[in-house]
Amino acid sequence: MTSLGDRILGLGLLVLAVAYGWAAQQWPEPFGGAETVGPETFPTMLAVVLVAGSLYLMIKPDPDAQWPVGKSAFELVISLVVLVVYTLLLEPLGFVIATTLAVGTLSWRMGAAPRLAFLTGLLSAVVVFVLFNYGLSLSLPAGLLEVL
Amino acid sequence: METLGFLMDGFAVALTPYNLMFALFGAFVGTLIGCLPGLGPANGVAILIPLAFTLGLPPETAMILLTAVYAGAMYGGRISSILLNIPGDEPAMMTCLDGYPMAQKGRAADALAVSAIASFAGGLIGTIGLIMLAPVLAKFALTFGPAEYFALFLLAFATLGGITGKNPMKTVVAATLGIMISTVGIDISTGTQRYTFGVLELYEGIDFILAIVGLFAISELLFFVESRMGRGRDKMNVGKLTLTMKELVMTIPTQLRGGVLGFISGVLPGAGASLGSFISYTLEKQVVGKKGKFGEGDIRGVVAPEAGNNGASSGALVPMLTLGVPGSGTTAVLLAMLISLNITPGPLMFTQNADIVWGVIAALLIGNVLLLVLNIPLVGFFVKLLSVPPMYLLPIVTMVAFVGIYSISHSTFDLYFMVAFGVAGYFLRKLDIPLVPIILGLLLGPEMEKNLGHALVLSDGDWSVLWASPLAMGLWIVASLGLILPYLIGPLLRRRMNAAMKESPVSD
Repeated sequence: MTSLGDRILGLGLLVLAVAYGWAAQQWPEPFGGAETVGPETFPTMLAVVLVAGSLYLMIKPDPDAQWPVGKSAFELVISLVVLVVYTLLLEPLGFVIATTLAVGTLSWRMGAAPRLAFLTGLLSAVVVFVLFNYGLSLSLPAGLLEVL
Repeated sequence: METLGFLMDGFAVALTPYNLMFALFGAFVGTLIGCLPGLGPANGVAILIPLAFTLGLPPETAMILLTAVYAGAMYGGRISSILLNIPGDEPAMMTCLDGYPMAQKGRAADALAVSAIASFAGGLIGTIGLIMLAPVLAKFALTFGPAEYFALFLLAFATLGGITGKNPMKTVVAATLGIMISTVGIDISTGTQRYTFGVLELYEGIDFILAIVGLFAISELLFFVESRMGRGRDKMNVGKLTLTMKELVMTIPTQLRGGVLGFISGVLPGAGASLGSFISYTLEKQVVGKKGKFGEGDIRGVVAPEAGNNGASSGALVPMLTLGVPGSGTTAVLLAMLISLNITPGPLMFTQNADIVWGVIAALLIGNVLLLVLNIPLVGFFVKLLSVPPMYLLPIVTMVAFVGIYSISHSTFDLYFMVAFGVAGYFLRKLDIPLVPIILGLLLGPEMEKNLGHALVLSDGDWSVLWASPLAMGLWIVASLGLILPYLIGPLLRRRMNAAMKESPVSD
């Protein structure tokens, strides 16, 4: 059992805390002169607490969790890419097409048969689109389907 | 008597057909959320917030919807506990102990029915407790000054991990991270830009709704992808209802005890629903003694924890409604809804937004009745849904989360942010950093800073004002106990809970 995870996290948080605290000291004095509680007081307190917390994590780390390797990690990266690409294509392609692709790919990668997966995607996309655009009159982007 | 009048007004709000419809919808969706493994109550309520928001629901309707979902999730958690020996949510863990053996003996239908009744009894007792306690506490809370509030917020963070929490330091780190995120944006009192890096979207701060949805929903998807449990489970057979009136009458004392104990542990900071159901179960075992067959499918072993966790879920609303300080993940998410509806939670809410508070409370009562009515005949339907494989369900849930966030602002910038929060949530959960304190930090951070500022302005910069009054001092002491106690008695309690799980012959 190693405890590298907590140590790395602790280190990262320490850097964050110092940067956060340092940035707070750089702000110009607010208009009207300094008071006891300025914009930097609270962030400075937080930075101190986080420094203490991160040091504790590095000194007394918990044992590591099981991190995904190989195929699991690969699947995770794929899911993430799908989510980002979905966001990217949502407006240009339109809701229905983008959602069919995204939901379909996700459930296919989670183990569904491809045809069934994309069918689920298409069905849920159409239902949600109709529900939102006509039922609730909240417009989702129609994208390529706009011409129809 | 005054309370009764308010409650009647509350019923008038909750019983309008429009609100009743949303309560019914919420109760239904809540049960679904509760019974699907991996979609906990906090998660479910979080996904529904943007929807409630974009639907443009009036505040009381939005709150009624979410409270009904909350109550429903507590009902739903038991279904998979009983049928699959897998708790749908954490508080339903104790229900596995006797519920699953009952199901194995072919009495699944009985276990489901009796646990629905127990949930109802627990929820009812808890709500009655809430009605009696909340106004008193709200009146008391009016005496709180800024220093007391500051201490109270600290108390909330310190006890959030719960007495059974693993590493209190991680709770502290999580809470600090949450508060830090909440400081991004333009400082309200001075107008200084903090951590905006000149990005226009950050000037108004980070919307906690997208943080919550990202942290919960997206990280949940990633966890499922990793564990690859996409396949779902085999169909279950519920069987016929053979519950007799005599058995039901026999469990009444158990229901009362469980409900009361659950309510108390729901109100207390740091206890929560999981401990509520645990205490009710252990106490029941001791009261009944050798006569019971606990762990082998004793009906009281199903009743006690279910009454306990539903009592606790109503109890947890007490600090949230009266002090604006939630004690659990789901109530924290409910608080997020309140804040985004521009309602300042806390004692003033009882006078300024009486219709909302009492509408919600009345909706809890109505919701419990609806849930009982829904749960007994429809249990077969919920069981069927339980066998819908997550590989179809989770992508759809994720898509709904995307739609919800997108429809708030119509900007894809928010969606990227949400995904980023999801990834962060995944890593933090992997590292055992709890997410709920982050959410609570996000929500309470601005209030905390405001109160700190007020306290120091009033005292002319004297920091000792923060612990000057006896009340504030007391809160500080309880807060430090909240951090120290888990080290002292936490391992003991955890061992007992584990031991209780192992004693049962079926746990594998």
